[in-house]
Amino acid sequence: MSNVTFSSVKLEEKLPEVVQEVTQERIWKYAAASLDFNPVHIDPEWVKTAQPFSIPVTVAHGMMTISFVTSVLTNWAFPSGGWVRKIDVKLTKPAPPGTVEKCGGIVTEKHPRGKNQSFVVVEVWAENQNGEKLAVGTAEVVLPD
Amino acid sequence: MTVNMEKFLVTEKQKNFPWDFIADADTYEVWDEIEIGKEYVAPIKYEVKAEDIINYSQAILDDNPVISDEKKAKESPFKGLIAHPLFLTTIGFFCIRSGPGSWIRTPGARNPGQKIELYEPIRPGDIITLHMKSYDKWIKRGKYYMTYEIKYIDQHNRLKATMWTTLILPRTREDIRKFMRAEHGLEA
Repeated sequence: MSNVTFSSVKLEEKLPEVVQEVTQERIWKYAAASLDFNPVHIDPEWVKTAQPFSIPVTVAHGMMTISFVTSVLTNWAFPSGGWVRKIDVKLTKPAPPGTVEKCGGIVTEKHPRGKNQSFVVVEVWAENQNGEKLAVGTAEVVLPD
Repeated sequence: MTVNMEKFLVTEKQKNFPWDFIADADTYEVWDEIEIGKEYVAPIKYEVKAEDIINYSQAILDDNPVISDEKKAKESPFKGLIAHPLFLTTIGFFCIRSGPGSWIRTPGARNPGQKIELYEPIRPGDIITLHMKSYDKWIKRGKYYMTYEIKYIDQHNRLKATMWTTLILPRTREDIRKFMRAEHGLEA
């Protein structure tokens, strides 16, 4: 079991990264899992001309990228009973197949509260293999004492 | 659509879901016509099964046992399987297919980011009802944004989560029809 607690966490502490590769196969599987079958994700022929993102290829679901970012938090906090109570993420660049998403987080604030109510603020992000940001945001994670 | 998704449909819900978002696109709510401040309850409820939770975790290649392994999750601080926070997405698409909120299925829609608050874990056995409010719509840099506030409430009337779902949409029905014809229908 992980021993992440509010008292053990330090400001500027970096959370373990999550790295995920986007492929069309994975986009199709995510479409089925999320029930989001928008053609911009699943239909390579349609997107050649429709181009919602002004590129002629499919892109990963934004919710898939936010899921990867959130997994940085859940991998870190869930094993010790921590709880992700707020996520606020902006998507800044689409992720077509071939993208390698590297997701991370850093603790920027500590908020002492009552028993098992203390929480930290974590800045989170996803970037591609070129170091370009795909998503940026913040989260609040409640941690055991 | 030019793809067939059948081979990717694993769970009972997936196999019975109307997955062709283009076929019904002419019936979806349109940015131009949505009135802000209206409240709705989605007519379809979501009964959570372990296979739904595990399939979502598998799709994002997250093997955290709390969200992917029923047996190991029982030994965790959560004392059982819980859903990944973004599983809310699946519940939303399952419950909202036509009528209020159907704009989430719009071909050509773009996701600018999302805000979520989570109050309690979603677990197998939960029956979730969506309480929705047309929260805001605005224009910025030529793009048309739409936000619904969606409350996820279980069968015991417990508020599990709130999500402010936002998309950039085609503005008019004719813009959506362009996307139905595989033409570009966004203004910016």
